Amino acid sequence: MHQEDIHQFLKTFFTSNDCTILSDQEGVLGVQLTVDMDKVLMNRPFYWHYLEKIGGIPNPMQLWLKTDPESDCQEPKAESIHFGSPRLQQIFRACREQGRFANMYEKCQPQAAAIPLHPWLVVNLKAAYRSHVHKDERYSIGLNLANGEMIDNFHQLLRKRPLSGTIADYCFTVSPIIKPESGFERIRHWVEENIKSKDHSWADEAYQLWKQHLDLLHTFYEKDQNDLDNERYEKEKQALKEQFEPRIQVDVINGGLFYLKPGS
Amino acid sequence: MDINITFDTSWKDEWLQRLNQHGPWADWNIYNLGWQSIEETAVENFHTLYAPKYLEHLQLYPHQIEAARTVIEKMNGKAILADEVGLGKTIEAGLILKEYMIRGLAKKVLILTPASLVSQWVSELNQKFFIPAVEQRKEYVWEQADIIVASIDTAKRPPHCDIIEEQNYDFIIVDEAHKLKNPKTKNYQFIQQLKKTYCLLLTATPVQNRLDEVFYLVSLLKPGYLGDAETFQQSYQTEEDQEHLQKLMKQVMVRNRRQDANMDWPKRTVHTVDIEMSQEERDLYEEVSKLKSSQTPIHPFTVLTLQREVCSSREAAYLTIQSMIKEAEGNEELQQTLQQVIGKIEQVSLHSKAQKALELIQQLNDKVIIFTEYRGTQLFLQYFFQQNGIKAVPFRGGFKRSKKDWMKQLFKNQAQVLIATEAGGEGINLQFCHHMINYDLPWNPMRIEQRIGRIHRLGQENDVTIYNFAIQNTVEDDILQLLYHKIGLFENVIGRLDDILEKADSDFVEQHVSDILLQSKTEGEKRIKMENLTAFIESKKEENDASGGHSPVS
Repeated sequence: MHQEDIHQFLKTFFTSNDCTILSDQEGVLGVQLTVDMDKVLMNRPFYWHYLEKIGGIPNPMQLWLKTDPESDCQEPKAESIHFGSPRLQQIFRACREQGRFANMYEKCQPQAAAIPLHPWLVVNLKAAYRSHVHKDERYSIGLNLANGEMIDNFHQLLRKRPLSGTIADYCFTVSPIIKPESGFERIRHWVEENIKSKDHSWADEAYQLWKQHLDLLHTFYEKDQNDLDNERYEKEKQALKEQFEPRIQVDVINGGLFYLKPGS
Repeated sequence: MDINITFDTSWKDEWLQRLNQHGPWADWNIYNLGWQSIEETAVENFHTLYAPKYLEHLQLYPHQIEAARTVIEKMNGKAILADEVGLGKTIEAGLILKEYMIRGLAKKVLILTPASLVSQWVSELNQKFFIPAVEQRKEYVWEQADIIVASIDTAKRPPHCDIIEEQNYDFIIVDEAHKLKNPKTKNYQFIQQLKKTYCLLLTATPVQNRLDEVFYLVSLLKPGYLGDAETFQQSYQTEEDQEHLQKLMKQVMVRNRRQDANMDWPKRTVHTVDIEMSQEERDLYEEVSKLKSSQTPIHPFTVLTLQREVCSSREAAYLTIQSMIKEAEGNEELQQTLQQVIGKIEQVSLHSKAQKALELIQQLNDKVIIFTEYRGTQLFLQYFFQQNGIKAVPFRGGFKRSKKDWMKQLFKNQAQVLIATEAGGEGINLQFCHHMINYDLPWNPMRIEQRIGRIHRLGQENDVTIYNFAIQNTVEDDILQLLYHKIGLFENVIGRLDDILEKADSDFVEQHVSDILLQSKTEGEKRIKMENLTAFIESKKEENDASGGHSPVS
């Protein structure tokens, strides 16, 4: 993520959260936080608790972020923000927290006939592969609840469509045939099958290593078997399990219903 | 292939609920950023190091990145980090920890260090790695914080050790792990009973050439890797076995050498400062030397110690003599002899060495760290400098953690001089200072290397100057001229000494030096024996150069 991308990301984040942009120069972003954003980002629960108790006038803070470390920002409280900085990671978390559920309609131009919008259930997921090695896989699955069509990388398609929280006057929604819950189960099933069909030599290797280490451990503790050693042995065994046992954890990041024009 | 897939359905439940209640729904932009943040942070590869991307402000050296990669990919997160002093073991450990945290594999982390290093670790992890580590000060911290730095001596004691057991840590780091070589100690047993899914043992001194030490350290990390204690001793007798062992060690230990690490090191300049004793000081030295042949013979080793102390300061010698007098209760004649020495001590009015140090410090007009072996000298010097308008702070191993931090801060911000005793030197980083005075010299060359390592390390931006004080025609002179200069100890800019001493064992050098000084009857004999010793060390050096490699064990 380049510094300019970060700048853009932050600007979108704060404006979408109704914060006033105080300054938007090259490499510097100044933001007047709202009360809600202050609570999310500034980590001062006691202040807010106190203020609400006494019924005072809230005074949310300003946040100054340097997206370019070289910038000659005069603001004394400006924080340098970059990919690894805790502030950006915190904002990432806030986005995920706030953006878990969506329900949107495609905007369209008026036409002679009313336009049907198809209901798509979209689920964005992360699959974490874990053993002695680790990686993540992303899935963005869209399922047409009217006809059962399923498409991967659906988020990329969504990004190209103009979307709105309310349906336009001259549009109507097509009734779903698949219920939301069974739609979700279909996606889940598809993802699980897809994962199973992949190359899992990493897991073979993990099982092999796990066994090797267990054997070593066993010989080490074989000699004297008093209770203390037994306890240690169990603990070491548990550690090896955590280190090597191959497992996959699938988490839904976000999703929801998107009503879209057919085709294109 | 049987792989356990867990599918989290909590999202679905909440979503269905919201469908019923018609919302609330997120703004498209936020929804989009939420997924974008996953695209940015997802770890898509088994074998890429992601941590450096998060740490762009940190200057990482190739050997540090390589070490992290090796530990993660080849050692699966269980390793002994045994870089030479000053190469940044802490950085490597931080890098590895960061990587595991980014990958979501490490959440509960415990870092155990000597008390003196706790706050240094906390600040490095927070500032350099953005890892929110917390110092364990109060009992409740164990349960509240996920990433804790604690003193190993506190942690091993109840009630702490019991609380730790319940915490289920997944990543454990032990600093100064070379102290964990004896399985009978509390520290060892404490570490042994912890669950160690991922574990780094950091050791400043190389794993020495004692097989059992190697065995116990490795068994802490990977029990069974070197077999069990009994068979291990028998299995590694021949040279061939040793080679096999070295190969095994390479699978669990990372050891970077200064000459291998491709870095621009600041230069190291060494000056010997010859000091002439005043007549009174010389009298005292002679008086002490005579004790060897006093009527009640005093053990030559004690005399040698006294000689070294006199060279350091009369205060250092005074303390020893006082306790000798106490011990000599009932032996009036010996007490009298010793009283005579006290008399001589009292006559000394001028400290030639301290005077010289003062001049040098005034002339340098910059931060200076002074190392001495003796408490007495440390106290005296602090007083002496203060009398002469120079602000000096003491530092020693026995200080509480907070006091050590305080002294380091004082030295950094206010005082010109830090006076440290040996035990105080371990692990603290003082790269903001680049002058060092060896006020007296330890006889173990490894310890000198460690002293120098306090300032001659990564992050030092200036060339380092070392002043070795030696009083002419004394034991000090002998050790400096006959031994250290010959083996090129101080000039060894890239610390090849570690290699050599690993093979020759530094305790061995210390032992031999005392033997030579104690048993030689004439100057000539002493000289020849010293030459033999240096020749021996030289030969080890050549052996090492010829083999081109270095072995952790031999």
